[in-house]
Amino acid sequence: MVPADTTGEERLVIVDGDADSVQIAAFERDRRELIRRGLAFGGAVVAAASIPVLLSVRNAFAAGEADKTILADAIRLERIALLAYDKVIDTGLLSAGVQRFAKLIAAHEREHADALTTALTDLGQPRPAQPTVKDIASVVKGIGDVKSQADILNFAIELETAEVAAYYDAQQKFYDAKLLQTAASIMASEGQHLVVLRQASNKPPVPNAFETGSK
Amino acid sequence: MDMDSFLRDPLSRRRFFASSGVSIAGGSAMFLAACGDDGGDTGRVVPTTPKEADAADVEILNGALDLELMAIAAYKAGAATLRGELLQVGKLFIEQEQEHADALTTAIKEARGTPNRAKSSYDFPQLRSERDALRFAVELENTAVAAYIDALPKLTRNDLRGTASAIVTNEAEHLSVLRGALGLSPAPQAFVTGEAA
Repeated sequence: MVPADTTGEERLVIVDGDADSVQIAAFERDRRELIRRGLAFGGAVVAAASIPVLLSVRNAFAAGEADKTILADAIRLERIALLAYDKVIDTGLLSAGVQRFAKLIAAHEREHADALTTALTDLGQPRPAQPTVKDIASVVKGIGDVKSQADILNFAIELETAEVAAYYDAQQKFYDAKLLQTAASIMASEGQHLVVLRQASNKPPVPNAFETGSK
Repeated sequence: MDMDSFLRDPLSRRRFFASSGVSIAGGSAMFLAACGDDGGDTGRVVPTTPKEADAADVEILNGALDLELMAIAAYKAGAATLRGELLQVGKLFIEQEQEHADALTTAIKEARGTPNRAKSSYDFPQLRSERDALRFAVELENTAVAAYIDALPKLTRNDLRGTASAIVTNEAEHLSVLRGALGLSPAPQAFVTGEAA
């Protein structure tokens, strides 16, 4: 584990998804040895540089807790997306082709939510409360105002973009290796949803080389 | 080798990707550098100093850079078979793969590493038609997705994980467009992991 370099930048090296007190002790030994040899931090810098290191070690212990919080948030987001797709599918405003794809996306969102829920319960956590239709507006506003397929597509693009952004953020916070990989495979799936929604809206399907969910 | 033979023959594909810094094992793809030498089944690199962490990141990033450079060469080779809208798509994807390569090059230099360079030539299968080019591109993009997802937990810096996830999502989007052009479902699975190559 290498929580910090000489710039104080936080780092975590993932080993089997868990912070390990033995590894942390080993890191501390290595760090002290580096300090003793003057390779890592020099003289007066030591005291200041040690602060983020110690904070990072605490973060490593807390990493498992962070994963649970992020998972719960991701489950809520997926369930909200599922609610939103179910709602727009029922509007009768979609062409047969778009309707078919909306159902496919809804099925994907359900699979994402189920997988994440399994991951959360495997960590000994209860299932998060089921969101309601009112909660959709906490992610993207305006679902009650859609009056055409174009409106729905724009809404869905906003929704998928918000999902990509959430997973992009999670990639920089998740600690467990398997969660990182699962989240990446879901983020990639949301990207593919975006492609089809953009194509249906006559928008460039892949406008950015880095899909981060930024607008 | 023609495209049909290439796609039918797992050994040929393994050899091809191995020559480009990607290992195919057990149906998943990974950057060769990321396999590490720890002998464990996780393949995770466990550096103990910032210098080792940088070195581990550089190895993984260079594996990714190799694949991006190969993808650029492949799209350029395939562009000769493309016309009209698909040619424009091919050109866009070349630009985006180049952006990935540039970002990886910058990250490698920031980690005090030396970026790999593109090979002088690549032994691509024969791309005789638009369909060949599309199928080969699908193969490359799937392999890239699998390799990036394998590599993600091995990167030690959070910002690099963010960048890798943004790239893998873009590659998945390329896959979606390419599959659509081949008449296949653009989003066949809820979890995009890169198919077994």
